[in-house]
Amino acid sequence: MSSVHNRVLSAAELQTFGDELDAVKARHQALLGASDARYIRRIVAAVRWTGVAGRALLFLGAFVHSVLVPAWIAGVLLLALSKILENMELAHNVIHGQYDWMGDPQLQGKTYEWDIAGTSENWRKTHNFRHHTYTNVRGLDDDIGYGLLRIFPEQRWHPFFLAQPFVAVVFALLFEWGIAIQDLRIGRVLVGKMTLKQLWHQARPVGRKAMLQVLKDYVLFPALAGPFFLPVLLGNVAANVIRNVWTYVVIFCGHFTADAETFPKECIRNEGRGHWYLRQLRGSSNLTGGKWMDVMTGNLSHQIEHHFYPDIPANRYAAMAVEVKEICARYGQHYNTGSLPRQFGQVMWRIMRHAFPSKPAPERPLVAEPRAEVG
Amino acid sequence: MSAVYRNTAPPPIPWLSEGFFDFWSTRVHPLWTLRRPLARLLARHKASADAVTLELQPNRHFHGLQAGQHVNLGAELDGRLTTRSYSPVLLENGRLAITVKRIAGGKLSQYLSEQAVIGEVFALGQAFGEMLLPAVPPPKLLMLAAGSGITPMRALLRQLDAQGMPGSVDLVYWVRQREQLCFIDEFNAIAARHPSFRLHLAVTGEGAARVDSHELDCLGDLRAAHVLACGPGGFANAARARLQDQVAHFDSEAFSVPQLVEVEQGSVQIQLLKTGRTLTVPRGLALLPALEAAGIKAASGCRMGICNTCVCGKASGITRHTVTGDYTSEPSVPLKLCVSSASTDLTLEL
Repeated sequence: MSSVHNRVLSAAELQTFGDELDAVKARHQALLGASDARYIRRIVAAVRWTGVAGRALLFLGAFVHSVLVPAWIAGVLLLALSKILENMELAHNVIHGQYDWMGDPQLQGKTYEWDIAGTSENWRKTHNFRHHTYTNVRGLDDDIGYGLLRIFPEQRWHPFFLAQPFVAVVFALLFEWGIAIQDLRIGRVLVGKMTLKQLWHQARPVGRKAMLQVLKDYVLFPALAGPFFLPVLLGNVAANVIRNVWTYVVIFCGHFTADAETFPKECIRNEGRGHWYLRQLRGSSNLTGGKWMDVMTGNLSHQIEHHFYPDIPANRYAAMAVEVKEICARYGQHYNTGSLPRQFGQVMWRIMRHAFPSKPAPERPLVAEPRAEVG
Repeated sequence: MSAVYRNTAPPPIPWLSEGFFDFWSTRVHPLWTLRRPLARLLARHKASADAVTLELQPNRHFHGLQAGQHVNLGAELDGRLTTRSYSPVLLENGRLAITVKRIAGGKLSQYLSEQAVIGEVFALGQAFGEMLLPAVPPPKLLMLAAGSGITPMRALLRQLDAQGMPGSVDLVYWVRQREQLCFIDEFNAIAARHPSFRLHLAVTGEGAARVDSHELDCLGDLRAAHVLACGPGGFANAARARLQDQVAHFDSEAFSVPQLVEVEQGSVQIQLLKTGRTLTVPRGLALLPALEAAGIKAASGCRMGICNTCVCGKASGITRHTVTGDYTSEPSVPLKLCVSSASTDLTLEL
């Protein structure tokens, strides 16, 4: 599938590759301090102020009909911005424990609850643990196609996937709901591995959280506008959909580009640090675009650095990327990066192509045989 | 020991985000929070050559304290919440008076003594500590204090003063240099009001003996005495060795921070606050496998320090990162059990 050439590393090279990447982490960890604290607090303030301003503008449009259209558009964009910033740059990074070192009870990975339909608790399991530990390992990382899409030829084809160009669009619009029910693995009920009662038990906290979100955006705030509830309701729907589509686009660009690889389960047996880094590198892809792109994607524009160092504050990734890129180049490893249109174009091509039957290319080993046993 | 506030309990109002509430409420008034105890610095004055007394206004989420108890006070230094324990006096107006001794190399004590500005808001923990006055006043009470160990004694003395000083009370107060003495005017005033209270100063820099060799004969017959001792770890241990078997009751508290032993062999004690168990584990071993070997099941995931699943609050002690070798002593920062080993005795919120 991939057209890039990665040098096959020897066991000794793999060891130093891992050591050098560990050293980058140690160097940047030692620099953490007041500037990182200031950064994340500014993001918190931006989330709060854009959220309030967005909702205020929606009410303004609802009550002052002469400014309905401009106020509605500005309100939707600000509210969407608030939700995107909260979900991506604030919540996603805080839940990883990136700001635990500050000791601020409001910014602790274990307890932060984010402003989205799904629970942080499920996210900690599906994302922090499964996705980040077993990135792109088939059968262990549920994020490969989210059990709904066939992104890689290694996934078994089924006629259902013929509909996936359409399914993918619906999934993008409802992305937060897909994330919310991901950990329930509803498919297990269909194949008889879980009873409806077990599902109900697991679904209760998810349902409670989702209901609060629905009540807030689709009942409480519209109701406050009384007879003019409709523009507020539609504005909230629009803001949530914008957030859903944007997060979907960014996240799909992270692991589903043309050069991203998946791995068999055997790959992680006795996996050393260098090998782990190598797998993260081959399974991830970055986005170019500079500072604004970094903030708006919650620094998932540095997906590679995020996967190397998920517990380092994301505001450090841009600086770390310079060193990571240099190390990858020195070890002859492809550093997968590109503009958003280019990367998402590749993702869309994968969704189209693998809707139809496709054959995987022969498995290419990550390292020279015999497999290096490091660490 | 209680750490400063961490919002680990479920939110009091399920539909209300605490972060959202506190962000806006603290913009209206810096002490208004949903449930987090905070204290605001109102005044600071010199208590001795190397100590200042801070007057703090706690918010309504602080549940008060008994004389002799301690609180954890925290300020953000270089982005990190840095907390230390202090023994406040509860003033009549509900404020807390905290005396802070400036310690060379002590990050928080230097910050509180010199840099903190009036109006600044600090993190505050709920009161803790068992060194209280007995419910029934003992016929003879002996208080032994060294250095900043005087602060809980001051609170206890104020309580005794308010109760009319039941029984006979002796306070022996050790310092290195005379200019380090705190609250002397206050103690003399109490002594003037109550003849049954006697103050004994021991300035070691001027030749006074330490607790292990002090005559203590000025104190009379100690067999029926109820003894309270507070000071650095060495002082508390020496006082206990000297007196425990000769008096009716002995209580001591030490405030020293745990000392790092530069070895990775041997074993340490781990106290688990939630399960109430205490275990002995090897020093160099990562905590997660060590706990599992002792039959404690802790939440865990990747076992390599990336997924944050096994993160656990630590109330006290020093840990070492098994990959980087870095030491962490700050109690407000949670630790990852899978990549941390114990370097000293630990207290974990597990």
